[in-house]
Amino acid sequence: MKRIIIADDSTTARMFIKRCLQIIGLGDAEIIEAEHGKEALTAAKAQPVDLLLTDLNMPVMDGETLVKWVKASPKLCDLPVVVITSAGNPAKEAQLLALGAHRVLNKPVSPPVMMEALADFIDEE
Amino acid sequence: MIKHNPLYQSMINAVSQTLENMVFIEVMEHFDQSYEIPAEDLVWNSLLINDPVQGEIRLAMPKTFLKELTGNIFSIDNDEITQPQLDDILNELLNTIVGLFLTNLLEDDQEYKMGLPELGEEGLPEYDANTITWKLMTDGEDALQIFATGASLVALKDD
Repeated sequence: MKRIIIADDSTTARMFIKRCLQIIGLGDAEIIEAEHGKEALTAAKAQPVDLLLTDLNMPVMDGETLVKWVKASPKLCDLPVVVITSAGNPAKEAQLLALGAHRVLNKPVSPPVMMEALADFIDEE
Repeated sequence: MIKHNPLYQSMINAVSQTLENMVFIEVMEHFDQSYEIPAEDLVWNSLLINDPVQGEIRLAMPKTFLKELTGNIFSIDNDEITQPQLDDILNELLNTIVGLFLTNLLEDDQEYKMGLPELGEEGLPEYDANTITWKLMTDGEDALQIFATGASLVALKDD
């Protein structure tokens, strides 16, 4: 079973992402919810995780800082990180990809977009 | 000089994209541009834009409409809806609208920075000369109002 972290300070956004995951066939995955980057980082270090989905604009630790921490960690650097944000544009996307993000998706995310972004991940099932 | 697309339409598109994708509701300009949401049924929140222009965007809607949206999104009955759920939906709507608005407004190579949404208390602040207003409604005729303030943001308005 896959283990996926969803980091977003909005309950609504986390619920939308969980629904998308269910629709695209990842309903069996164990979902770990985090309200900010620091909580997500702690969860990722505590147990093996297969995927990290994160917002950018969050209190305590934002998504960009989270990507930097994950990619700098020898233990977590191979963890795929998908950023799902309302604050993304091509310039920001390029910056996040350069930091090591796997994909950058714009909110509100839809199941087809999520499916396309996670195609490799789903194929591994 | 900031290169940008038309400001008024950028916001209408952002609100439409957000409501259509999140709750399958169509949005259009309100047929009565003098309409005001009654104060006793009003909820609003705001979000700061910090860069490349400085300003604030406010979203206002009737409490009854927010409750209806919340029930639909969480698939729960009205009597099960909690205040944190109402607050979270309102904040996520504004967060998404402002992100899409800036993406629509600014050129692709222009980065922007925005703050976190904050719930409004009491009535909406008074309009001033540096306020642009969008009076919108859904296909169910529920009103939505957006306000943009801040001299450098409003300076991008269409001629």
